[in-house]
Amino acid sequence: MADQEHIEIDTLLDMPAPGRSRTGRAAALARLLHQDCTYLLELYRERESLLSDHTPAGDRIVSLSLSSPDLSSDEQVQLLHSALRKCLGLLECLILREEEEMGELEGEYETVRKGVRDRLGHLLHSTKVLLETEEDVTPDHQCNEEVDGVVGTFGAKMWTYRVLLELIHWANSASQTLHVLHSEREGREEI
Amino acid sequence: MFKAWEIFLYPNPALNFFTTVSRTCLVVLYLGFQTVDGSAGLAPPQQVRLDADKETQTLSVTWEDGHASTFDVEILRTELMEMVLNETVGVTEDQSTGKHQWNWTSPVPLECTSLSVKVRSRDGQDVSEWSSQQILPGLDLPDNTDSQMYPEGKTVPVGSNMTFCCIVEEGQQFGSLWYKDTLVKENMLSRRTYATTMTNQGPSNPSGTNVVCSNEKKMIIAGAVVFVGYPPLPSDLVCETHDLTSVDCQWSKGRDTYLFGMTRQTYYTLNGRNCPKARNSNMRCGLEQWDGNWTLVARNLLGEFRLTDAAELGHRVRPVAPVNLTTPEVYSWNASVGWLWKDKGFERLSLICQVCLSGHQTYTGYGLNTVVLKDLQPDEKYSVKVRCGSQKNFWKWGEWSLPLSFQTKMDRSVAPDIWLWMDSDNLGRVLWKPLTKSESHGQISGYEVILWSPEENSQQTLTLPQSVYSLPINVTDLGSKVTVTVTARNPAGVSLPANVVIPRYLPDAEDTAISKVAFNGSGFPLSWVAHANASCGYVVDWYNTSCTQDCNVEWTRVAADNTNTMVQSGNFFAGVRYTFSLYACSSESTVLLERWHGYMQELVPSRTVLRLSPNQEGADVQLTWDQIPLEHQRGFILGYTVYLTNASHLTLLANITDPQLTNHTVRNLVLGSYKFTVKAYTAAGEDGGATVSISLEPYTYWLIMEILVALGTMTCLLIVITIAFTGFSFSIFTILWKTMPGTGLICVCFQGTLDVKPSPHSMVHIVEDSVWDSSKEALVTVPEEDEEGTGDEAADTDEPASLRYYNQVVEEGSSSQRRPHASDSSASSTGSMDSGHTDVTYTGIQTSACYRPQMQSASCPEEPQTGPEEHLQPPVGSFGGYQPQCSWKQDSPEADGDGLDQTCLGSPTSVTSSQFLLPYDTSEEGKEHPSSASTWFHNLLTGKP
Repeated sequence: MADQEHIEIDTLLDMPAPGRSRTGRAAALARLLHQDCTYLLELYRERESLLSDHTPAGDRIVSLSLSSPDLSSDEQVQLLHSALRKCLGLLECLILREEEEMGELEGEYETVRKGVRDRLGHLLHSTKVLLETEEDVTPDHQCNEEVDGVVGTFGAKMWTYRVLLELIHWANSASQTLHVLHSEREGREEI
Repeated sequence: MFKAWEIFLYPNPALNFFTTVSRTCLVVLYLGFQTVDGSAGLAPPQQVRLDADKETQTLSVTWEDGHASTFDVEILRTELMEMVLNETVGVTEDQSTGKHQWNWTSPVPLECTSLSVKVRSRDGQDVSEWSSQQILPGLDLPDNTDSQMYPEGKTVPVGSNMTFCCIVEEGQQFGSLWYKDTLVKENMLSRRTYATTMTNQGPSNPSGTNVVCSNEKKMIIAGAVVFVGYPPLPSDLVCETHDLTSVDCQWSKGRDTYLFGMTRQTYYTLNGRNCPKARNSNMRCGLEQWDGNWTLVARNLLGEFRLTDAAELGHRVRPVAPVNLTTPEVYSWNASVGWLWKDKGFERLSLICQVCLSGHQTYTGYGLNTVVLKDLQPDEKYSVKVRCGSQKNFWKWGEWSLPLSFQTKMDRSVAPDIWLWMDSDNLGRVLWKPLTKSESHGQISGYEVILWSPEENSQQTLTLPQSVYSLPINVTDLGSKVTVTVTARNPAGVSLPANVVIPRYLPDAEDTAISKVAFNGSGFPLSWVAHANASCGYVVDWYNTSCTQDCNVEWTRVAADNTNTMVQSGNFFAGVRYTFSLYACSSESTVLLERWHGYMQELVPSRTVLRLSPNQEGADVQLTWDQIPLEHQRGFILGYTVYLTNASHLTLLANITDPQLTNHTVRNLVLGSYKFTVKAYTAAGEDGGATVSISLEPYTYWLIMEILVALGTMTCLLIVITIAFTGFSFSIFTILWKTMPGTGLICVCFQGTLDVKPSPHSMVHIVEDSVWDSSKEALVTVPEEDEEGTGDEAADTDEPASLRYYNQVVEEGSSSQRRPHASDSSASSTGSMDSGHTDVTYTGIQTSACYRPQMQSASCPEEPQTGPEEHLQPPVGSFGGYQPQCSWKQDSPEADGDGLDQTCLGSPTSVTSSQFLLPYDTSEEGKEHPSSASTWFHNLLTGKP
């Protein structure tokens, strides 16, 4: 199912569309990404036998605030783009560490994980197009254990857990922000 | 302490005596102290030192100056002062360092909490004082505020026991401990440390087993991962060469280690060289040169395992696949295939090669690189591949080459298999079977059919397309001996001719006897006596027997030296009769030898017998029917069963085992309605049955005969009476022959021998004229609806309103009375006319003195039946005794009180009934008499002998 959605999104992104539709497509993409991230966390908890009411301690990894009232929608998208770049960097680091730790497995978790990575990359491209600037879409994270504070195997798992929560958070933020932007632009077009 | 005592004892040496006594006393006192506290003579260990190896959870304790080989060691958890160990151990002094060292492996990780250790020397029961207490600090000290869990990231064998401890962050409260998703019981080791012990751990998943510690808010505050698995256990190391130079070793991975990732996975080395490609299920490793001896080492964090193999190169040759297959020569029936070797060494090796074509063919040769493929089929596509092995010291087949496809050339087809099917003497069809791929040897373009007659010296030639497999023929003008020749044509030429002499048309039932043949599960087994004139063998053909036009004819050929065959076909169906005909075939003639009929499976007939009809013959009923049409028989008809049908109940009357017999007579029936069912049956059972009904009527000829006999008897009697009583009995004659006024009836009544008096009721009415005076009580035809006691007669109301004769039987009781009265009563008749004519109406010929059925009961009690074999009774609404009168009730005053002894009572029904009431004797004689008489009379009337 994930593959099918993936193809649909790819098709959507390749289609030429006016600006109004781009925001709509980006918002839809973020919504799908949020669903994927939620499912990925569910699979992770299942794999690690972690109860859903057991949450890891620690602060946010990506700390950017989109809630400031002074920020315009475009500025919010700019911040969102930066946050998503960091998320992509974290996810790629996560994949690297897990493959070192467990080898290259081919379960459902790994499949969904790859799908999230791809979709996150698509979302970055979408937000870049929305911003109409030459934003970087490369992952923004140095995969360094000392920087990440990863100590030991269990520490790496907790870091993974936090990264997955971070992905959910930012995918949800992207969905909401882009939805608002889509509504605004649509309103302007109608006027 | 000992030295203190000495300093104290030497201050004043002048006091010798006192000193001596004092010293003696003190020594005794000292010895006494030594005995009490045990410390005398043994020095406590000095400079006790603790060293911890936290990875292995090993604590190393070293000390000096023990001067003993046995020591007591005591270990406490410092914070709660709980005893962990109190043990006496033997430790020898290291001569080079002068120190004692003792190692202890803690079941609890050494980080969990601080441990206090002290040691004392022991010599038997003597012990020194404890050494100063040494503390191994844990990580739960206040200055180490973070939450932690130990041990972390360990790899242990399956089945291990482990203790995990959680150190709660300063200021937080412990919540719970979880192993995987299981809440486990904790044990408090210190203020901040809680531990749990897991026993007999099972294998982990690829990411390891989590042990999680949470606080009271269920937040994960610490955790550890343990990897539980097995050491490697590979097997079956085998090394071989594919190119006569290098070595390729393979082995089985064996038991799963459950350990993954770069750190924990299994690594392999072959003769000391790494095997980086040995991953997952691909357990193989290669070396450039053939060593002859190989050692495989498999290693992971839990251990290593070694496998060895040794062999000479020539014993382990498994060639690579041949390359560049070609077909230098291809013909209709054979072809040659060649190939090359990538490694020149194989060109100098004795090889055995397999060629996969249709099945495997094996060839051998030195440096084999070409083979000839024989027994191929013309115009056939083939795909060939080759693999080889070392002929000497064969080890294993090498890899298959890539397949090579080629097609053989075409050739003339085989002669068609032809046969003739004659519908009549001159008309028929030439049939031939389509040629299969293996027979046609190329695409058939058409057929040529030649009819020729040596007698007439004439020939007809017809060319037909490839899709036609039969040809109607008319040999009227071709003489008696006609030969048919069929050839097939393809691009390679014309086939050999197939000839057959037209056999004489012989339908069933002519000349040749027909036997039955049974299907034996796989076919119809036929056997016959050898025929002299079967030079080109026999032909058995078969077809659906009931088919009349354009029948599907199949045939098979049998060699001349064979006299049996099994006829098999996918076109046999259950319930269909097939005719099998055996022909002897020669160049001169085709002669029908034998015929069989057979069913693959017999079924019950699909329909009933045709035109089933009953025919009454007196008390008998003859049933006749026609046979079931052949296509509906669905089995060999073995016979017929005849049933008497009573509602849904069938009573078997006869089983006719001659299937040609299509009639049956049911005898000795009493009056009434009957239903008969006739069923044909095969080996599979009976059909549904055809049913016919009949209502038996009185047989008039018998009645007429009895009337005539009665009249004759009466005449004779009158003559005798006239002679006997002439002279004095004239007056009696007057009475006797007195005509009843106004009725036109004569009543003759006998009572005793001579006491005859007229009866006003027992009478015969004679209708003198159909237009008789209506003022008189004329008797006319009375419809039965008007009769008394119509209850049982109601079933017959659809019959014509003419005279009816009920040939009833009195079942029991008065047999001795019946026969004489049969003639007595009829004596009152004065005339007999055609019973079918309404001008003469017999209205109650009564055996008045003797018959009393009307007197027996007004409700017609049922009489016991004698069974169908004796007298078949009408099944429904049957009449018992004198049925028409049975409901009559005696209302005659003469009958009252006299009962049955009233011998001259006139039956009230005699006036209104239009029926003859005749006796019927139930004795054997009585039973046979009317039947035989009626049969005789019927035969007389119908002219039958």
